[in-house]
Amino acid sequence: MRISNHPVLENTAGDEIEFTFDGKKYLAKQGETIAAALLAHNIRILRYSMKEKRPRGIYCGIGHCYECRVLLDGQVSVRACLTRVRDNMTIVSEREDSNEF
Amino acid sequence: MNFDLVIIGAGPAGMSAAIKAAENGVSVAIIDENPEVGGKLLGQLYKDSKSGWWIGQKIADELGKKLTDLNIAFFLEEQVCGIFPRWEVLLSSGERLHGKYIIIATGAAEKALPIPGWTLPGVMAIGAAQMLTNYHRVKPGEKIAIIGIDPLSLTIAYDMRLAGIHVVGIYLPKKSEFSHMKAEPKQLISYLSNFVHVLPNPFLKLFGKMLKYPVIQNLAITYYPSFGIKVFGVPLHIRKAVVEIVGENQVDAIKVEKVDKNGSANGKMEEVTVDCVCISGGLYPLGEIARVAGCEFAYLEEVGGYVPLHNENLETTQAGIFTAGNITGIEGANVAIEQGNLVGLVISDRLGLLKNSKEIIKAKKKVLLAREEAVISFQPQIEIGKEKIAELWNKRMNE
Amino acid sequence: MQNTIVCRCEEVKLGEIISSIESGATTLRAIKVVTRAGMGICQGRTCRPLIEDCLSKTIKQDSNDVQQLNFGNPIRPIRLSELANTRKG
Ligand SMILES: Cc1cc2nc3c(=O)[nH]c(=O)nc-3n(C[C@H](O)[C@H](O)[C@H](O)COP(=O)(O)OP(=O)(O)OC[C@H]3O[C@@H](n4cnc5c(N)ncnc54)[C@H](O)[C@@H]3O)c2cc1C
Ligand code: FES
Repeated sequence: MRISNHPVLENTAGDEIEFTFDGKKYLAKQGETIAAALLAHNIRILRYSMKEKRPRGIYCGIGHCYECRVLLDGQVSVRACLTRVRDNMTIVSEREDSNEF
Repeated sequence: MNFDLVIIGAGPAGMSAAIKAAENGVSVAIIDENPEVGGKLLGQLYKDSKSGWWIGQKIADELGKKLTDLNIAFFLEEQVCGIFPRWEVLLSSGERLHGKYIIIATGAAEKALPIPGWTLPGVMAIGAAQMLTNYHRVKPGEKIAIIGIDPLSLTIAYDMRLAGIHVVGIYLPKKSEFSHMKAEPKQLISYLSNFVHVLPNPFLKLFGKMLKYPVIQNLAITYYPSFGIKVFGVPLHIRKAVVEIVGENQVDAIKVEKVDKNGSANGKMEEVTVDCVCISGGLYPLGEIARVAGCEFAYLEEVGGYVPLHNENLETTQAGIFTAGNITGIEGANVAIEQGNLVGLVISDRLGLLKNSKEIIKAKKKVLLAREEAVISFQPQIEIGKEKIAELWNKRMNE
Repeated sequence: MQNTIVCRCEEVKLGEIISSIESGATTLRAIKVVTRAGMGICQGRTCRPLIEDCLSKTIKQDSNDVQQLNFGNPIRPIRLSELANTRKG
């Protein structure tokens, strides 16, 4: 789902790094956020809601809504839309049993 | 840690303020929750008839480089969690910054516009699509529907087309408690006619000029073609509303219904397959930190919502707290930059560091000029709104 | 629309908000206490303007009169451990 040739903007280069999401390995571009890297692999579901256990993904994309929370290396409620992927990160979708703040 | 000036938000307003203040010898800290400076600049891309392409990221990079050159203290990937008198700013890492002066430049947030099914993954605010397309360079979806017709959604529809993304159409939202005039073709057309200068397509410009006349507005709605009118190759539907977004675990389709001049459903339902829906509900000034700091607020429709009361120096009702950018009203990035320059000078002056106070007068003029010449505008009555704020301020000061 | 979520964090539906208003919750704060709308992790950043809409539509109040929520620290989630750390320092 990447945009490779943009007619106006310079193309983004960048090394690829590996990360794990819900047990599977994926490649991200250096400097990319978790949400963008996952969407590039067509993954939209980032967590499940507490009450109705319904899937949720990014909504605002700029840090305001907290819909994109994931578990990152054991840390809860990390916003996937603002947090950059680092090499060998382990990310898990947030669910009811992930402890809230 | 102690600073003369602590700036909350590294968008165009916060960054320009930081640069102007630091240039005059003020010690400055700037905080942002993003890993990179730029704020909403980072996603912006549109054609500016005067200067060619407006590429927000380039402008952010230039401002960012100046910040580095001036040795300004950056606190990135840090959320401001609280503010305490006078003045201590609490960051999410637990760090506390102390400032003689504070500038709150937290920008704007998007107004949500609930539609049945809007919590499904694949539904996002239009700003998310802007960031994905222009900054992250990832397609928000393979087949996209946009809900909500306004200068921002039209601009972003264009950006998506430019990036080769398939946008199936731009629709009205279902009429609801939250849709306001966005769901009412008649009101919407008269609102859109205010934005002739920002509507980028020549055909729409012509159309827009005619729409200044109510008679033509009425005709335009009555005879609006059911297949929409194409803007940059994207069908724009002024007589069709998305009434539901459907899907099991993520978006599969939208349900679209024909509506009358006032937005009430009056026709057949059709289903359109999409994997992404972008909702544009408009923007509102994000003032929560100024609230917590105890600044007084006023509600002004003309500027986009609640704003901290401020004077022409961008000073709030709380001593030492200043503000700049979209928190004072929804406008384009150029205005935010000029407001930042102004407030940076004002604070340098308060600290006794500004050599030539005429610069402040010049900076005030530049804010007005930027407002007048804005290529993109969101609130057709922004100037009236700004006058009202000045009146409210004066009234408050005379109490 | 009644079944449509308004507060995405706490999963509060439009119907619940309207009925809270009809049963006497006529301020943002009262609605928050009754329904939990706006109590979630985003602190109402997404739903606050929506609840204002509901209030002004249901009881015909002007936005200027809708009693605003009290805003208080912290405005963003912060871990207690981090607060404690800095108190010491
Ligand atoms: C979705 C969206 C799209 C827009 N598109 C355009 C466009 O195409 N063209 C245009 O001219 N204008 C656009 N605007 C208007 C935009 O707000 C202005 O152009 C300009 O960016 C405003 O500058 P600012 O410095 O006031 O705020 P911003 O650029 O929004 O910067 C504010 C910064 O403050 C940070 N912040 C806020 N709260 C906190 C906190 N608690 N802790 C830490 N950091 C915080 C934010 O992360 C952000 O980086 C858009 C606005 C939005 C919301
Ligand atoms: S998508 Fe809203 S905070 Fe990440």
